[in-house]
Amino acid sequence: MHEQLIKSIQDKITLSPEEIEKVKHFYIPKKIRKRQYLLNAGDVCQYIAFVEKGLLRSFTVDNDGGEHVIQFALEGWLIGDMSSFLSGDEATYNIEALEDAELLLLSKPSMEDMLHTVPKMETYFRILMQNHIVALNRRVISSMSDTAEQKYLKLMNNCPGIVNRASQQNIASFLGITPETLSRIRKQVAQK
Amino acid sequence: MATVKTIAIVGATENIGSAIARILAKLNYRLLLMSGDQAKLKALKEELEKLEPKAGIDIVGCAKEASWEADIIIIATPYEAHKEVAEKIQEVATGKIVISVSNPINSNYGRVVPSANTSAAEELQKMLPYSKVVKTFNTQLASKYISAAFSDQTRDVFIAGNNSDAVTTVFELLHVAGFHPIISGDLSVSRTLERLQLSIQNQMPGAL
Repeated sequence: MHEQLIKSIQDKITLSPEEIEKVKHFYIPKKIRKRQYLLNAGDVCQYIAFVEKGLLRSFTVDNDGGEHVIQFALEGWLIGDMSSFLSGDEATYNIEALEDAELLLLSKPSMEDMLHTVPKMETYFRILMQNHIVALNRRVISSMSDTAEQKYLKLMNNCPGIVNRASQQNIASFLGITPETLSRIRKQVAQK
Repeated sequence: MATVKTIAIVGATENIGSAIARILAKLNYRLLLMSGDQAKLKALKEELEKLEPKAGIDIVGCAKEASWEADIIIIATPYEAHKEVAEKIQEVATGKIVISVSNPINSNYGRVVPSANTSAAEELQKMLPYSKVVKTFNTQLASKYISAAFSDQTRDVFIAGNNSDAVTTVFELLHVAGFHPIISGDLSVSRTLERLQLSIQNQMPGAL
């Protein structure tokens, strides 16, 4: 139930078995089913979710009702509306399970408690934040300067799991292109 | 689609379990019903769906699965089964509200808590150290709770628990369900609440 989390932690820092036991008890195990929501825009994001199993997406809805996929999360990833989680303001993201999912939820008070109890976890979260900033920067730059094909190839190389598991609609939305363009690129890439 | 809280009822076909299911089915919760008696469980689900066609109700095969998916867990099994249930759900109940509605009596309505210095709820909290145990719904007969929830009369319901956020959540849940919730104190007050129920029951033998 905590395998992915422990792997993610042990990849970055070294914890004793006792510390791992302590860390586990700050996370709430939660299953959600495909198409259920973990967060609705307008609510406060109470938890960040570590994905043990399944695939989720975060997305915004524009004034015309159009959806824009912000992020996908599969096994070993974190998902949440970080600004809402950290500031306590209303969330702008919706988070939905695209597959049945097993999550480990961490509330802000539990996170603070955990960082006090097991200070080494500060390092773990710093590394996660660093990775998050790097990924965010890459995504911004890619979305401004890459061609549709370059964007698709990057996603395919970096996250083949998402390309294989998410729908065409969601992948196109994540890349900021139409499903028709995505379909054309896929054909071109397959022919090469 | 809004994020709806999911409530698991372990022991849903017990008197108090099915009473709570009927009360909660009216509200905006997703219910996961679990019980060893599959035939009774199926009948309960059908009955609830007839009463509340819009309610989201699912049967879940085991206590662990139901508790894993739930935000709030209600344990309505007889006190004697608590240990077995606690062992099954301990891992997945971490950080969750666990509502104890049972009284420390056995199937012959005899007392089974050995010591005066504890209660069914406190024993459950010991078995689930990482959960937030709250005692409620234990001082009235199941039928009384139903008649209160489905009429204009309001009925006092006592709540006891150590975690203030958990107590507040249960207070709001009971309030929305049409009860008059009264916060009685920390979990050790369960000793009084549970014995209160026993004395009521002793005055009305056979009423259960």
